Amino acid sequence: MEHKRLNAIEGKAGHPALCVLPEVEKEDELLEMMWTLREEGRLTRSHLLETCEITGCEATLSLLHKNGWITEENDSLVMQPKGEKRARELVRRHRLSLRMFFDLFSLDGAEAEACKFEHILSPEVTDSVCTLLGHPPNAPDGKPIPRGECCAMFKQEMKPLVAPLADLVPGETAKIVFITPGSHSRLDRLSAMGVVPGSSVKLHQKKPSYVIQLGETMIAVDKEITREIFVKKM
Amino acid sequence: MHDHNSPDESLRQSEMDKVVLIGNPNVGKSALFGLLTGKYVTVSNYPGTTVEVTYGNAVLNKKRTLIIDTPGVNSLVPMSEDERVTRDMLLTDKPRVIVQVADSKNLRRALLITIQLAEMEVPFLLDLNMDDEARSRGIVVNQEVLSGLLGIEVVKTVAIRKSGIDRLLKSLAKPRPSTVRVVYDKDIERGISAIIPLLPDAHISKRSLALMLLAGDESLKAWLHAHIPDPLIDEIDKIRQDVQARYNNSLGYLINQQRLKAADKIIAEVVTRFEAGKGSRIAQKVGTLSMHPLYGIPILLGVLFLVYQFVGVLGAGFAVDFLEETVFGTYLNPWISKLVDIILPIPLVKELLMGDYGLVTMAMTYAIAIVLPIVGFFFISFSFLEDSGYLPRLAVMVNRVFKIMGLNGKAVLPMILGFGCDTMATLTTRILETKKERILVTLLLALGIPCSAQLGVILGLVSGLSLTATSIWIGTVLAVMLVVGYLTAKIIPGEPSDFVLELPPIRVPQMTNIIIKTMARVEWYLKEAVPLFMLGTFILFVSNKIGALSYLQKVTDPLVVNMLGLPSKAAEAFVIGFLRRDYGAAGLFSLAKEGLMDPVQIVVSLVVITLFVPCIANFFMMVKERGMRMAIAMTAFIFPFAFGIGGILNWILRTFQIAL
Repeated sequence: MEHKRLNAIEGKAGHPALCVLPEVEKEDELLEMMWTLREEGRLTRSHLLETCEITGCEATLSLLHKNGWITEENDSLVMQPKGEKRARELVRRHRLSLRMFFDLFSLDGAEAEACKFEHILSPEVTDSVCTLLGHPPNAPDGKPIPRGECCAMFKQEMKPLVAPLADLVPGETAKIVFITPGSHSRLDRLSAMGVVPGSSVKLHQKKPSYVIQLGETMIAVDKEITREIFVKKM
Repeated sequence: MHDHNSPDESLRQSEMDKVVLIGNPNVGKSALFGLLTGKYVTVSNYPGTTVEVTYGNAVLNKKRTLIIDTPGVNSLVPMSEDERVTRDMLLTDKPRVIVQVADSKNLRRALLITIQLAEMEVPFLLDLNMDDEARSRGIVVNQEVLSGLLGIEVVKTVAIRKSGIDRLLKSLAKPRPSTVRVVYDKDIERGISAIIPLLPDAHISKRSLALMLLAGDESLKAWLHAHIPDPLIDEIDKIRQDVQARYNNSLGYLINQQRLKAADKIIAEVVTRFEAGKGSRIAQKVGTLSMHPLYGIPILLGVLFLVYQFVGVLGAGFAVDFLEETVFGTYLNPWISKLVDIILPIPLVKELLMGDYGLVTMAMTYAIAIVLPIVGFFFISFSFLEDSGYLPRLAVMVNRVFKIMGLNGKAVLPMILGFGCDTMATLTTRILETKKERILVTLLLALGIPCSAQLGVILGLVSGLSLTATSIWIGTVLAVMLVVGYLTAKIIPGEPSDFVLELPPIRVPQMTNIIIKTMARVEWYLKEAVPLFMLGTFILFVSNKIGALSYLQKVTDPLVVNMLGLPSKAAEAFVIGFLRRDYGAAGLFSLAKEGLMDPVQIVVSLVVITLFVPCIANFFMMVKERGMRMAIAMTAFIFPFAFGIGGILNWILRTFQIAL
């Protein structure tokens, strides 16, 4: 696993897993933490050790330093280019996983799942997930998802291709790509009113209730329903 | 509000030709029904006006024909009780002709039903109604091509203008099964073929039944149990589960999706679009504003203010004064009094007719002079609102508030209809999807929604009050409903259902429909209310004669006088309130008019009579829809509750000496 992951971090295909080294996971966690703290503008050694809940935090930190991922000087921490890359990809995988679990599968406890996934996803799969989700700019908690190569290939970088209907601006029209229903009967009812993939739908308004329009039919719906209808802007 | 539903068995079973009107909600089935039969059924501009099957006779093409109006459906796999009624009708009754009524501008959704009728292999024809509205929105349907593609007669009509009816009548003679077929996914088709040999014979094709079962139609189970042995049903269930296991999405959804794909192909060939006309854009703008988060509220207040001005000031003030004082007071009463003196100079008869509790002086005066003008004015404004398409937009505005009560915006419709008549509104709870919601709305209707007659009288009473007093009355009733709704929703098990409500287009109401509808409702009011007013008055008269009334007042004094702080005579109003709440309100109205109540007393009595027990007709409807136990439980809760709230309010107002 260690080889596979390390190789994955370097951007190459991995070998079959041999064993799990908890030290590597600790390194990952610390790098992620540093990235997040830096986003918040408070990356210092003391801050990191304060927020760190991992046992043997300091030892891992000096290991990172020794292996050239980061540099330590007094209270300041600086990620080296290869550390920067590793952290960036970890955060990207974590937040993309969050987005995936939250948007696609409407899963509770997405955080725990995302923590597992960030260690598993290969670069190819990560880019596929990113593309599938329409290169989302933010995680569900609003934190930015570091861009990948796949994102750069698209011109409309900040506009996801596929997004929940709820995220449209009122007045926008889009085509339904897929629907992830909370319940089967909900889907049956909506489909009888024409809400199926392929239909054009306009978000008429969001307040005080969501109103959508299909052809000449206006339907008032719960917000939760519009979160389950995924559309592609036209 | 008074849809005469006469499920006359002899009529149904006879060999007469039967024509069934079927279609999506709010496409004009009832308007067409009215045209064909000459019999009035409520026609409004919102989905779910018709919740029961209605029968009417007509002579079409020189043959006596039974016309059947059905509740609107979006799919023939029912999702709510009213939709089920329509499907069951097709299943158990064999109509000679089915007319699918469609909204021309929403052809796609109509075709979803057309395809299902085609699968049933029943003879039918397609009526593209509201052709004018489609045109004004720049949508033109080529009916010849459509007819060719479907293999059935297709006609265009505008039912409310009676246009195209001749062609429709001609086509009625030529119904055919449609040739349209949808081929589904291999796995679904395999499931269909596996289920077909297990099914009993029916009026509709086995393929269509198999599709309904695959789509997960639980409501079909009862019918199946009556026709085939249980092991076969288990086998069908197993086949369904096998097919379902192959897909992530529900089969019902997949089947609809494939039907819509077929519909889209047809639409591509028959629908042409032009630039929309100006008129329709203005109406759309009004519709949008009426549910705007900001402008929606002043519009709502404006609507309420206009209704109040029209009903409370014009109806309850001007019209009542004229009828009560001039017509009855100056002319009719003295006149009849003299007439009785001449014809029947018996004191008892004269007292029965003209005394304090006289059938003319009290019952007729209340019914005709006080309630009728108010109700009439209310019906006019209510019909206007119904036909404008504004009411469902209210649901958009208040969805969130209703969520507090375990309901959603969809429940607004039966609640608002309750302001017309709680009895009919209780019937309309059928459009709600879960039992929990139906129970909740039934309770709230019985508890706090004053019906038109009562509301009218209340508005009359309120017009003499200050704004503070009025707000206290409205605030108390609203708060009580919110709290009761919130708590009841906690007690009754079940999840709230999704808010999915179709919004009809905003339309300029047609004067003729408003007049016809108002007349029909006034007629219903006179038929239903006047006899009960008479009965109530007679009971009071007899009670008074035998001394029971003063005894009753003595008994109820601790309650009415001490707790509520009302004049002793108010007990009479509450007694007759058992028969009809509006009659009780009318009693309070005349007490207030005679100056026997101060503002605090008026507000307290208003709150009590508003929350008072449902009228007899509503009670029976509750028994019919919710069962005897539930109806009694609700009434038993409401009665002491109404007095309790009145008592508390009285105590608060008196203790803190709130000036009204």
